[in-house]
Amino acid sequence: YKPLCFPLASTAERRGGRCPSALTRLGPFSDSGKQELIMAKSNASDAQALVRSLRSAYAATPTNLKIIDLYVVFAIATAIIQVVYMGIVGSFPFNSFLSGVLSCVGTAVLAVCLRIQVNKENKEFKDLPPERAFADFVLCNLVLHLVIMNFLG
Amino acid sequence: MGAKAENGPKPPPPVSSPPPLKALVKLKTKQQELLIRAAALALIYVLAFAIRLFSVLRYESMIHEFDPYFNYRTTLFLTRNGFYEFWNWFDSESWYPLGRIIGGTLYPGLMVTAALIYRALRFLTFAVHIREVCVLTAPFFASNTTLVAYFFGKEIWDAGAGLVAAALIAICPGYISRSVAGSYDNEGVAIFALLFTFYLFVKAVNTGSLSWSLASAFGYFYMVSAWGGYVFIINLIPLYVLVLLVTGRYSMRLYVAYNCMYVLGMMLAMQIRFVGFQHVQSGEHMAAMGVFFLMQVFYFLYWVKDMLNDTKLFQSFLQITLTCAIGVGTLALGIGMASGYISPWTGRFYSLLDPTYAKDHIPIIASVSEHQPTAWSSFMFDFHILLILFPAGLYFCFKRLSDATIFIVMYGLTSMYFASVMVRLILVAAPAVCLISAIAISATIKNLTTLIRKKSKAALTVSSKATSNLKASAKALLDQSLPFQRNGAIAVLVGAFYLLSRYAIHCTWVTSEAYSSPSIVLAARGAHGGRVIFDDYREAYYWLRQNTPPDAKVMSWWDYGYQITAMGNRTVIVDNNTWNNTHIATVGRAMSSYEHEAYEIMQSLDVDYVLVVFGGLTGYSSDDINKFLWMVRIGGGVFPVIKEPDYLVNGEYRVDKGAAPKMLNCLMYKLSYYRFGEVTTEYGKPTGYDRARGVEIGNKDIKLEYLEEAFTTSNWIIRIYKVKPRKNRW
Repeated sequence: YKPLCFPLASTAERRGGRCPSALTRLGPFSDSGKQELIMAKSNASDAQALVRSLRSAYAATPTNLKIIDLYVVFAIATAIIQVVYMGIVGSFPFNSFLSGVLSCVGTAVLAVCLRIQVNKENKEFKDLPPERAFADFVLCNLVLHLVIMNFLG
Repeated sequence: MGAKAENGPKPPPPVSSPPPLKALVKLKTKQQELLIRAAALALIYVLAFAIRLFSVLRYESMIHEFDPYFNYRTTLFLTRNGFYEFWNWFDSESWYPLGRIIGGTLYPGLMVTAALIYRALRFLTFAVHIREVCVLTAPFFASNTTLVAYFFGKEIWDAGAGLVAAALIAICPGYISRSVAGSYDNEGVAIFALLFTFYLFVKAVNTGSLSWSLASAFGYFYMVSAWGGYVFIINLIPLYVLVLLVTGRYSMRLYVAYNCMYVLGMMLAMQIRFVGFQHVQSGEHMAAMGVFFLMQVFYFLYWVKDMLNDTKLFQSFLQITLTCAIGVGTLALGIGMASGYISPWTGRFYSLLDPTYAKDHIPIIASVSEHQPTAWSSFMFDFHILLILFPAGLYFCFKRLSDATIFIVMYGLTSMYFASVMVRLILVAAPAVCLISAIAISATIKNLTTLIRKKSKAALTVSSKATSNLKASAKALLDQSLPFQRNGAIAVLVGAFYLLSRYAIHCTWVTSEAYSSPSIVLAARGAHGGRVIFDDYREAYYWLRQNTPPDAKVMSWWDYGYQITAMGNRTVIVDNNTWNNTHIATVGRAMSSYEHEAYEIMQSLDVDYVLVVFGGLTGYSSDDINKFLWMVRIGGGVFPVIKEPDYLVNGEYRVDKGAAPKMLNCLMYKLSYYRFGEVTTEYGKPTGYDRARGVEIGNKDIKLEYLEEAFTTSNWIIRIYKVKPRKNRW
């Protein structure tokens, strides 16, 4: 029984089997090169498949959740802009910087909590009326921003 | 005449309201139970307040110890001058000539609470003095803690455990030690805030509601404003979240609870000036931030996994995200710690992780008696049977694991570790131990009583059915073995009640004997058994207040600084805040030098009076001669000219004839034993017999060149000396 030494052989066969000498000199290199190329191709296709499936899954979420997600993205983007600005200008009134960044991060986090409580797929929150979730959200934001205004200096 | 009653309809009975007791019995069982619970809680509330009043009844309503005097002085300032002045107060009467920024270096929770209670009472036209409010603040908050313990126990286990927890914590000596009437210290309010915050957080995790998380953020804010021990909360809660994530109990409720509490709690905590930016800059708070970011990554991955139904794709996504997140996280942490932006753990908290650190590196922290490791006897003294019930409670918690029981187990174990490292932290462990023991007691008693009641119910059913029934005979057979179980259950129940009654007796005895002494007034038994009171401290401080110029500066060891400023109303050089080690070392050096060297140091500090505490006449053992070696160590830590071996003889600390010559001539020795050589203290002993050390002093003929004696109290406990001005130069 002669082991087959195709370039596309599986790794198990390559490890265990013995190829004819002529092929063995060239075989492993060409095998591994081809293997890498195929892995890279599969990575790219994997990533594409990932992105595609993410997009299709996300498109299925209800509109109200998408609005909340947009708000979260906006808040985080504002926080990042503030951090970049601090990197350029320096952090001298540190309390102002902290209150700015934390108000963005805080409201983003509270919006995520709202999204969790309003999402119909979450079994734990099915008894919670969405109006109550929104009222809690508004109250927490109110407290957060009052404290921010005190801390802003 | 003897007419028989007819069998017709009877006339209706006279309508009258049934007596109250019958009305009580006529209530439904649920209402009866509620009434019993409410009555028990009310009694526990009053008990917690009443047991802390021993010292007020025995002595008078005054503030105890040292630290509470600072709190009292600041509260007085707050009520007189208003919050704005208080928040921006710079005090030039302590740490002369440096002064102290009081507004920015204290935890305002206690003072603001007492001031609010004072304002509320005044508004209701009760004309109380602020001192009375201060004295009774701690017992009032202890009563409130029992209520919180009841609700917390109800949340973790059931209402029965809650009641038992409230009863246990009302009289637990570990808690009483820092919350008696008169102990006006941060811990009195802080333990209430701690338990309250934990209760609100566990409630938030159980319900997943944003409003409960907001409430727990406010509870955390109150804790931060009250005590430096808030670091325990901000480390325990992230640890708890981590444990829940690791054990697979993650849920959406946890996300909502932790994130809301962390962000809002952090923002609120930064409003306290003393805490400042520590939540983003100090190593002690980084665990919370790390868990915050971890949660974001974790739940993001969880959400993506939910959306993608394909596991292979998700695996690759997981790998990419995890490597990115871990890489960024470690990079940020590394840069932060290496550049020094994130400060490492400070000495006080680092010594909790490494108990030997303070003794070698920071003598001031090591010298405080409350910071010593705990002995077994202290545990038994402070907890009694709770110590045995604690492992039993842990067993019950593990049997019925839920988010809430995991929390209380973690709180119990971590606080017990810290309690074993530092005596002072038994206070933090007390609520956890009470709650867990309450679970053990409640579960055991419940099981035993159901066993007893089930037996009697089974007996009833057997007797009512016909015995010829096969089932009934089988039950009768079963009944034969049950009497042993029933008797055993009754015996164990009686034993349990006996243990609990012993606990109550022990707690009352401990409170009465050990934890109700004001420390500023000493009591002893006279020769005929009558009580003798030593009120020397206040005598000395009032002498200072009335007989020295208003701008006089007093040098003493840092223990007495707060009391001198509060009661004597004079400027001090160092006080209990111990924020400046070099200044304290300067005073230590002055106390341990020869008189002429000390005079130079005192002139440089503008000292007018020196105050020392001396226990040789009365046998009072917490005096300055017993603390002297700490003065030498702290002074020697900054000024190498002071060497500890100079004061010891063969490693032994002596004050008699065989003492080291430097010891016999240093300032502290001279000031303590001036004129003591002429005094006979005990019948049959030579003059100059030091009753606290039990030896005859070595240097009886002391002459002072640069100081003169100004005042010695009636029992020689406090001695005040005036620093003479420089001689005129010709």
